[in-house]
Amino acid sequence: MKEIKLVFTGSMGAGKTTAISTISETPVINTDVITTDEVVQRKETTTVALDYGELSLDETQKLKLYGTPGQERFEYMWPILIKGALGLIILVDHASTDPLNDLALFVRYFKPYIEETATVIGVTRTDLGSGPSMQAYHDYLQKQGLQLPVFTVDARSREHVIIMLQALTAMVEFA
Amino acid sequence: MLANLIQPKVTPFLERLLQNCDDIHAALVVTVDGNMCAMQQKKDYTLERLATMGSSLMSLGDTITAELEMGACNNIISENEQGIVAFMHINDKLVLISITTRKNALGMLLSHSRICAQNMALEIGDL
Repeated sequence: MKEIKLVFTGSMGAGKTTAISTISETPVINTDVITTDEVVQRKETTTVALDYGELSLDETQKLKLYGTPGQERFEYMWPILIKGALGLIILVDHASTDPLNDLALFVRYFKPYIEETATVIGVTRTDLGSGPSMQAYHDYLQKQGLQLPVFTVDARSREHVIIMLQALTAMVEFA
Repeated sequence: MLANLIQPKVTPFLERLLQNCDDIHAALVVTVDGNMCAMQQKKDYTLERLATMGSSLMSLGDTITAELEMGACNNIISENEQGIVAFMHINDKLVLISITTRKNALGMLLSHSRICAQNMALEIGDL
């Protein structure tokens, strides 16, 4: 069976753990702990090392799904987790105070990787925020010289997450 | 922020830990989500990043022991060419990290650190 490693990254609260939990066929390994700082007002728990789940696309392909911590102080985990990945999903919390800035942080950090292989952007919590338009995300990416698919995603919806991953795996296959 | 509340409570314990055990060269208390609460050291380590890494490692230890149904994770020990680092829970919100540069000091490191962690847990209570 062909195994494809994919990595979910993005800002804290964007839905990385939720997205992996939504689609994983195996019990998700997570390293969530209680939050003890100002973040507690937004989230009771946060990922401090990784999430891991699995999803079989068919009898010949299995996705191995890794999630990174979202907070920047855990950035040392990002290169560890991205090693060997064939695809990257950057989730952006549309309801955060500055979603474009959140996207910029992860695009900047993962840019060498993005230029080499398949990446998609998933914009989450669009029902909760009056953030930028979808066009603004495209415009930002274009300014960075990147042409990446941008999906509006509800991380709790299996259908939404699967559609995004199908697009990504298609990019992996044709890369 | 929990780290600020904890700092004055645990600092005297860290000072005593380093005084009572010559082999321990640095010790720090961090929150489970990677915020530094307090540190003491006899050397000149940069410990801020270790605070965050300690929380990742402790969480992985908890995840591994849960996977294997081995109860609570007591310690994580990193034995290295030039020393040993031990990570252990103080309670469900705090982690003690202690460091020695002596390769044969594991027993001293663990015993002194465990007593210190237990004493800190009593002092902190349910905070």
